[in-house]
Amino acid sequence: MWAIYKKEVKTYFLSPIGYISIGIFMLMYSIFFYVTTIFYGSVDMGNLYYATARYGLLLMVPLLTMRIFSEEKKNGTEQLLLTSPKSVTSIVLGKFFAAVTVILITVLFSIVYSVIVSFFGTVNIPTILVTMLGFILVAMAAISIGMLASSLTENQIVSAIITIAVLVAPWFLVDLSSVFSSIDLIDKFMKFPYGLISIEDMISLLSITVMCILITIILIKRRKAVK
Amino acid sequence: MIELKNVTKRYGSTIAVDDISFEVKDGEVVGLLGPNGAGKSTTMNMITGFIEPTSGQILVNGNDILRKPKKVKRQIGYMPEGVPLYYELTPKEFVSYMAELKLVKKKERKEEVEKVLNETGLNEVQNKLIRNLSRGYKQRVSLAGALVGNPDVIILDEPTVGLDPKQITEIRTLIKKLGKKHTIILSSHILSEVSQICEKVVIINKGKIIAVDTPENLEKSTREKNGISVTVEDPKNNMKILKNKIKEIKSIELVKDNKDGTKQYVIISSADVDLRKKLFEILPKEDIVIFELKKTETTLEDAFIKLIDNVKESNEKEEKNLNIKEEKK
Repeated sequence: MWAIYKKEVKTYFLSPIGYISIGIFMLMYSIFFYVTTIFYGSVDMGNLYYATARYGLLLMVPLLTMRIFSEEKKNGTEQLLLTSPKSVTSIVLGKFFAAVTVILITVLFSIVYSVIVSFFGTVNIPTILVTMLGFILVAMAAISIGMLASSLTENQIVSAIITIAVLVAPWFLVDLSSVFSSIDLIDKFMKFPYGLISIEDMISLLSITVMCILITIILIKRRKAVK
Repeated sequence: MIELKNVTKRYGSTIAVDDISFEVKDGEVVGLLGPNGAGKSTTMNMITGFIEPTSGQILVNGNDILRKPKKVKRQIGYMPEGVPLYYELTPKEFVSYMAELKLVKKKERKEEVEKVLNETGLNEVQNKLIRNLSRGYKQRVSLAGALVGNPDVIILDEPTVGLDPKQITEIRTLIKKLGKKHTIILSSHILSEVSQICEKVVIINKGKIIAVDTPENLEKSTREKNGISVTVEDPKNNMKILKNKIKEIKSIELVKDNKDGTKQYVIISSADVDLRKKLFEILPKEDIVIFELKKTETTLEDAFIKLIDNVKESNEKEEKNLNIKEEKK
């Protein structure tokens, strides 16, 4: 897993994708930092993370995940991976954590905003940490969905569109049936910015993540027999 | 040692590989030969564990790839069709990544990577991006990826496709060199290549094995008649009556009337006689000057086409028989 993780992280920063996604993300953070914090003269960082999760993650996650398996499939490098002694599980996990790392980097960068605010008022550090935790959990769930989409097709655009659709659709579908709120990631993030660790939300975010990772692993294994 | 036992691969209703069995002994260089779409790549993909056979068993050094994938995959180096590579990496990075994937120990990794880069002649370009390398170098990088970790078995899917003649010779020499230490299976639809590199040939057509033998034997067994090609100067046109003088001759055919007054003939005799000596003795007596005289050889090309035609014919016969049976019913 380590070998694949290292190579994947390297690939993000050898291609423009890593820089572009981090750049877009920081832009989002900065805009929302102005809109939610500076504009109101508030020291509450929760809204910053909420707005970025809602509008930033959506743009960035598909960008990060669309290539994960699609590119390998299209270039045939999938054959190199799957004929190596590494297990499918370690390949999938290596790729998953590499994408999570990129998000983690942006979350670390976002500490800057708290530092800025701390000059003007008192920042509630535990609340920010809880918010970050929630943010990372949401990102993990979104990445696992994107990775699953990427394992379905060799077309990166298709993979990105599927991911965006799955992430956005619940916002509108909630009006039809409350069932859809269970796959609405942002809905599960709501409580974290208040400094509340909701076990229910944590479990559902984690279970979405684990489920998508498992399905990805099963699909790749299964394809060996069908292909 | 690689053993394939009754391996079949189906895609829905189409059969890509149909009940094939063959063995590759340690240190052998075996060529999988067949027209495009014959099932060569599918077979290789199954041996390397990229896809699973629908039925049958594949053993590498006695281990089943489905039961002990990790152990078996460590012993195999694979260069897939179409040379898939990570273009954003350099050859050095690529080979070290492959070394990591092949579970080469950290201590030995650096040395191993250097050794392989040396072996494949990639030293000069090891720090350039693979994206910018020529096709020949890309092929070598792919080969290096297959070699790293010193696998017992090396599987090469069409290793020389898309290369220029010089690069082809280089890769072939490299493969020959590798064949001394490793067991190699390579696929190709270029027959001369296979007869040059391989000790054994497995001919596949439409998913079925139609022959397993050495290239020499295949050429021999498919040769049905003995031909001798002669170029002569024959002012009295005595070649026509030659048939009366040498009884073993079945037919004489004029192939080419050269501008310099010489003519090229092919003399056919039955398979068990060699007429070369007789021709040398008799032709001068008939006032025929020999410019050139040689045995026409059946190439592997002929053997291949003939084998495939044979299969076609027998299939057609079967079909006819079936039709007749059905009609009778």
